[in-house]
Amino acid sequence: MSQAGRAVAPALVARGITKRFPGVVANDSVNFDVARGEVHTLLGENGAGKSTLASVLCGLYRPEEGQLLRNGAEIRLNSPRDGLSQGIAMVHQHFRLVDRFTVAENVVLGHKSLSFVLDNAAIEERVASITQEFGLPLDPRAVVGELSAGERQRVEIVKALYQGAELLLLDEPTALLAPPEVEKLFITVRAMTHAGKSVVFVSHKLGEVVDISDRITVMRAGKVTGSVRRGDADVRRLAELMVGREINIVPRRAKSPTSDVLLSISQVHLEREGAEILTDINLEGRAGEIVGVSGVAGNGQRDLAEVVAGLRMPQRGNVTVCGVPTSRAGALGARRAGLAYVPEDRLGTGLAPSLSMVDNLVLTRKRGFIVDRKSALRESEGFIRQLEIKTPGPLTPTRKLSGGNAQKVLLARELFAVSGARVLIVCSPTRGLDVGAVEAVHALLDEARDAGKAILMISEDLDEVMTLADRVMVLYRGRITLEQAGIDADLDRIGRAMAGLAS
Amino acid sequence: MIVFGRRVRMEQRLTTPSSLLVVVPVLSVLFALVVGGVFLALTGHPPIGTYLDLLDNGYTSFYGITDTLGLATPLVCTGLSAAFAFRMNLYSIGQEGQMYLGMIGGTWAGIVLADALPTAIAVPVVLCCGALSGAAWVALPALLRARLGTSEIVSTLLLNYVALNLVNYFIFGSTGFFRDPTTSFPQGRTVSENARLSPLSFFTDKVTNTYPTFVIAVVLAVSLFWLMKVSNYGYETTVYADSPNTARYAGMNSTWLQSSVLLISGALAGVGGAMYVVGPAGKVDPGLLQIGLGYAGIVVAALARYNFVAVILAAVLFAGLRTGGNALQASSDPVPIAIAVVLQGAVLLFALGGELFRRNKVTIVRVKQAVA
Repeated sequence: MSQAGRAVAPALVARGITKRFPGVVANDSVNFDVARGEVHTLLGENGAGKSTLASVLCGLYRPEEGQLLRNGAEIRLNSPRDGLSQGIAMVHQHFRLVDRFTVAENVVLGHKSLSFVLDNAAIEERVASITQEFGLPLDPRAVVGELSAGERQRVEIVKALYQGAELLLLDEPTALLAPPEVEKLFITVRAMTHAGKSVVFVSHKLGEVVDISDRITVMRAGKVTGSVRRGDADVRRLAELMVGREINIVPRRAKSPTSDVLLSISQVHLEREGAEILTDINLEGRAGEIVGVSGVAGNGQRDLAEVVAGLRMPQRGNVTVCGVPTSRAGALGARRAGLAYVPEDRLGTGLAPSLSMVDNLVLTRKRGFIVDRKSALRESEGFIRQLEIKTPGPLTPTRKLSGGNAQKVLLARELFAVSGARVLIVCSPTRGLDVGAVEAVHALLDEARDAGKAILMISEDLDEVMTLADRVMVLYRGRITLEQAGIDADLDRIGRAMAGLAS
Repeated sequence: MIVFGRRVRMEQRLTTPSSLLVVVPVLSVLFALVVGGVFLALTGHPPIGTYLDLLDNGYTSFYGITDTLGLATPLVCTGLSAAFAFRMNLYSIGQEGQMYLGMIGGTWAGIVLADALPTAIAVPVVLCCGALSGAAWVALPALLRARLGTSEIVSTLLLNYVALNLVNYFIFGSTGFFRDPTTSFPQGRTVSENARLSPLSFFTDKVTNTYPTFVIAVVLAVSLFWLMKVSNYGYETTVYADSPNTARYAGMNSTWLQSSVLLISGALAGVGGAMYVVGPAGKVDPGLLQIGLGYAGIVVAALARYNFVAVILAAVLFAGLRTGGNALQASSDPVPIAIAVVLQGAVLLFALGGELFRRNKVTIVRVKQAVA
């Protein structure tokens, strides 16, 4: 038999991978393979087991069962270093870089064959040649701490390529990127596959993976539920494979005309350690509408929320909640004026993780010398029934709840338990939640809007903003750079504004 | 780690079976006794006989248990002090110094204020002055911690040495206010009789070393337990301890919470020192410096897992080992007090080590083959 007639073994095959963690089977006899020069996407909701599988493939986790074949030969990986020696590297969602080092220093960090004295010129030259070959614009001498999220990701990719990676696992690579940066990343991915490298793309964002993938494998609850090739990929079908049932994504908008201004932010200006964080922010929230503030993480969103919530005092400017000026009133003053706040970090800021649902419900209400837990217990039981919160009971620590259920507890408190709050700030309300929970949270916000609340929704998830908001704003480097009505929002312009490109 | 082809594997428990809450501490104490037994055997003492003696002298005989309760009295207070601060993730280890200051402040009140007051008022006044002095001693570390984020561990520890030298100075270094003026022998001036309580006799005609202050300490522990459970202050400190960001989000004042917790912790240790004045000492007594009840309070708090009611039990357990050990040292076949200290250390070590088994499921698995 001739060489060409024999089927070429895939770059990496995983057979019957089972990985358990206490209480969950993260991977249940999963089969997966990736060919040379192929982009194979692992698609699934949070908690479906994609990251676990990627970690098994790169040697970070050792599976309880199953085997790995590299170019047809069985391999055993005991550490990411073993993976690297097989040419397998992973780019993690959270970057593992040293901020004070330069790009080149980060790239060679941990590399085995380094001489005692670093030959910086040679290293920088090699880094520069990699960046050119794969379309990764980077200055090898730049200090990593000063780079954007997209640039840092490029450093991680260059690092993997420098170490000789032939197979790259990219874990949620687009999570922190603005749309134009995503396009640049895709160019790099294409360049890598042209050079015969394989890419495993881990993502939960349906829309974007269809363009880049040669194959898409969908996971749900630790199992592979389906696999489609380029050309057969249909977004609706993939969504159903992810969720396990049919879903409908319809935009929700205000049903009645909006009325009085409940929240007004005028000329707010915030500095921290001499740096401008927010510049000249003007914004109005009316009863019965959702204002969506979109933008790439780190452009001042959290600070804006904290200023409105009374947690941060702006140097200049005014915030009024239901007519009461609150920019100097502190968190309690803002709440008294009628504000409720659902922060982005739900377990750890919005909720005290070791405390029960009952104790978390009393967090933002007025408490006497003795804390009244009896009424909170009754309320908890009501919420558990009404909102279908899955929990062993109202006294279970909230950290034991899933993300979606914890968010329901937080929303219940801020939407219903706080008496009289008419203004609501929500930050990334569905981050990390599965599709079912996203639906539930969106329905709750929609209901609150109908009930006449003024909602300021700050979210990096553009889809979410487009689905819910009556007005859309883009925050870029602490300024509002774009404002559009939700119905005529132009995705392309919003994307460009998020990236700081003049429209 | 692979030993003889077997590997120890640990898995986090999702839930802890309630039986373990009893089994683990009991086994911890048993293992500690085994380790102490090895030391006893090595030094030529029969382990079991010595333990029976220890049990008798520390807990079961009349004078044994009353001595133990007497010693446990300030220990409950320093234990509460440590538990109160540690629960808030404030690692104040200044109980020793705060207790000395409680003794000094209590003595001052006992000399100056108590003469004109009946005992029923004089004793609370002395205890309150002790509490205030203990709180004052931690005021500076509390301020530094809450305002500048300075480590309270270092600042409270250093102040212990200052307090120790203060006591030594008052008694040995000067002939000032706290020094007994009637004798050239360096000892403290005694407080007014109105500020002293007589020991409990437990319905016998014997004179014991247990004072009514033990009851006060127990009441203090139980009310603290209850108050922190139901009060808003207890709630806010619990939230802050669990998640400072959540406390900030809810508009709680972290400066106030941190400093007030440290001040209350100092006051609790100070009360312990003042109880020593009201009870056995009646003066600024350098003897208190020898027994390290402040540092032992930290151990007691750890053993009690920062539970205020459990502090009572841990303090009695700990004090019993000390009184029992003291008695052994004085017996016909003297066992060095160091053995009792080894035993205390072993109890602590195994009790804390036992946490591992409470939180994790430990199994030993046979390793099938060497990893290629």
